[in-house]
Amino acid sequence: MSDEEIEIEIGADGKVVVRTIGIKGPRCVDVAEAIAQVVGREESRQLTDEYHEAGVQAMARVEQRVRRFGLD
Amino acid sequence: MSTVLVVSPLLVASWPLLSAAITAAVSSMGYATARAMQDSSVRAGQKATARAEIELEDSEILAGGAGTDERLVVERDGILAIFSRDARGALKLCVEGAGRSKAELKQIGEALVGRVAQQYAYHRLMTELKDRDMTIIEERVGADQAIHIRVRNR
Repeated sequence: MSDEEIEIEIGADGKVVVRTIGIKGPRCVDVAEAIAQVVGREESRQLTDEYHEAGVQAMARVEQRVRRFGLD
Repeated sequence: MSTVLVVSPLLVASWPLLSAAITAAVSSMGYATARAMQDSSVRAGQKATARAEIELEDSEILAGGAGTDERLVVERDGILAIFSRDARGALKLCVEGAGRSKAELKQIGEALVGRVAQQYAYHRLMTELKDRDMTIIEERVGADQAIHIRVRNR
């Protein structure tokens, strides 16, 4: 079963907050944007730890390969 | 935590769809549809009637539904709220009430408009989530009347 979740809060003033949970990397932005576009115009966005985590992991893998093959 | 987007709603819909959102919103706030403005208890009042108008810039009532009356009148406690389509095709709300200040009526109108936007967003989102085959695992209304939905992405 997927651990990927989306929390949506629709305020009494109609403002919508879309929050992704467990979706790592840039895909979390794609998922949130797809939901947000249904209701209106994006006012602000915040990228948090999980988004950057995927980028850091990818960079670590590249560094590992570079070291393994003595490319540095 | 990964991404948080804040979105302001754009109400773009045909009048029948929008009037469904208006009806759902105003019903939850205790308003009832007024059959005709002449029958309204507000009109029967002797006090001078104040009036406030709110135009929703971020709205567009799409053409179509020919023959439908693009106007909806609701009432509660002597307050009359008239939703209609303005000349530019945007949604307009006019709030009237005897013995009320213009600022008070504007505040009432803004609360109504907010709840209409909320209902519109709710129905758009629920349709989209179902189309995307997402599983709704929680849905509740908070003390602040905000709707909280939690879905699982497949």
